[in-house]
Amino acid sequence: MGVRRTGEGSNHLVRKLPFLLILIILFFSLFLSQAYAQVQVRLRAIHASNAGSSVDPSLSDLHKELGSLFTFTSYRLMREETLNLFLNKPVSISAHEGRIVLEATLVGLHKNMAEIKLKVVREGIEILNTQVRLLPGRTILLGGPKHLRGGVVIYALYGRF
Amino acid sequence: MKDSCSLVSKLLEKYFDREVTDKERALVEGHLHGCPACRNALKSLEGLSAFIKAPVEEAVQKEDFPWVWQKIQREIRLQKKLTWWQSLRSWVNVSPLFKRRVWIPAVAMVVVLLFITAEIIFRKIPSYPDVSVVEYVESETDNVMVYQLEKQKVTVIWVFDEPGKDQTTS
Amino acid sequence: MDHEETEMISRCQQGDQEALKEIFDKYNRKVYRIAYGVVRQREEALDIVQEVFIKLFHTIKNFKGRSRFYTYLYRMTMNTAIDHARRLGKHSVSSLDEEGSFEPSDTLEKGPERILLQKELEERVKRAMDKLPAEQRAALIFRDVEGLSYQEMAEAMGSSIGTVMSRLHYGRKRLQELLKDYVGLGQDRDSPDPKGQLPRSKQN
Repeated sequence: MGVRRTGEGSNHLVRKLPFLLILIILFFSLFLSQAYAQVQVRLRAIHASNAGSSVDPSLSDLHKELGSLFTFTSYRLMREETLNLFLNKPVSISAHEGRIVLEATLVGLHKNMAEIKLKVVREGIEILNTQVRLLPGRTILLGGPKHLRGGVVIYALYGRF
Repeated sequence: MKDSCSLVSKLLEKYFDREVTDKERALVEGHLHGCPACRNALKSLEGLSAFIKAPVEEAVQKEDFPWVWQKIQREIRLQKKLTWWQSLRSWVNVSPLFKRRVWIPAVAMVVVLLFITAEIIFRKIPSYPDVSVVEYVESETDNVMVYQLEKQKVTVIWVFDEPGKDQTTS
Repeated sequence: MDHEETEMISRCQQGDQEALKEIFDKYNRKVYRIAYGVVRQREEALDIVQEVFIKLFHTIKNFKGRSRFYTYLYRMTMNTAIDHARRLGKHSVSSLDEEGSFEPSDTLEKGPERILLQKELEERVKRAMDKLPAEQRAALIFRDVEGLSYQEMAEAMGSSIGTVMSRLHYGRKRLQELLKDYVGLGQDRDSPDPKGQLPRSKQN
């Protein structure tokens, strides 16, 4: 004799639903974690020149390094961004009124190491193509493109793990 | 009538089980007086109850529990005490802690918390002492230099940008 | 719980078998009633009674008096009975194989039709009860067989009153569905019931 499902039977499944949902979420998060891998990168675009002798206060943490590497007398922060880079999703940041564009793409993420492809395009011309490994505590300075008002543009990248 | 039938039908079982308040009883009894359908529904409940109960009552009345107590005594003597596993099982059967609605959500919560915090608890920051920071570098237009300051942990990638110059490959 | 019972339980917790006998004498019929209500077989029900009191003797130390003693005992009985029923299988033994089963010739001598229908209905009720989920079956037995109040049932089943009512409601609804051929259940044959007494299949 066929027996219709009773409310009691449906209630039984509904009661178990939260538990099943938790299991499903855990299962998918394990397997989809790589697909949704992301890394946060602090990016600063700096105008380095010999016009003046001031260092932007927001660059105080880099002052020592910049001083030991370069002979510029002035460092001005043009733009600061915190980028959330997702795997294989390029992000572009323009500086100097759009004349210089930095494109960053996360191509690999490991425990405390991010592999990032970087392209610098100046006025539509790709002048640099590189791939770097961002590690905790390491700063990458990408510089050299000329600024119209003299000096150069330097990009400072710092990974947050 | 239809509305009060709908209301009374929700109370009918409670009324049959004698679990209604005085007000509810008055409402049901007042309605039953003039509603054959609800009276039949009540009779149906009574009939069902009788058929659940009657055979049991008949069996209990006929029963004299021959030798049951003697068997219990003998078993207790033979067993002396339950094994630890049987004691645990008996405790599990009656303990409210092991009701499924308690332990299933508790275990699920622990699993979720472990999952979330495991990375923090067991995290070891791996070091990559021998890995190079720059994997490759290329430019179709300019020369490029890579320079590292190990102490300060700074890597410099420098492109010698000369706009308007002929293209050279580095 | 009266003082006499408290004292009896306390002695039993200390291993006094005489106290257990007193508890047995007081509750054996109630335990049997619940056991029989579930398994509907005499021998199995007696085995369950035996098992319950043996189990009780070993685990009564766990009874802290937070609930009423009889609801504690009834819960143990119901769990034991349901375990037995599961071991017996979903379909309990056909009444035709049971002790005291009837032969068609017997029924013809004793006023056959009514007895035949009665037995058939009992068997149908037993099978229908077997089809119910354990919690619904327990609710019906506690209520209709043992006459517990909703509050007592909630204690015995470790549930809320709302859950108890829900189990009763859906258990009864399901039973009525399974037994829908037997309309006018339990009514006197001579009462003026327009729906009639016989199962539809047997009506001319």
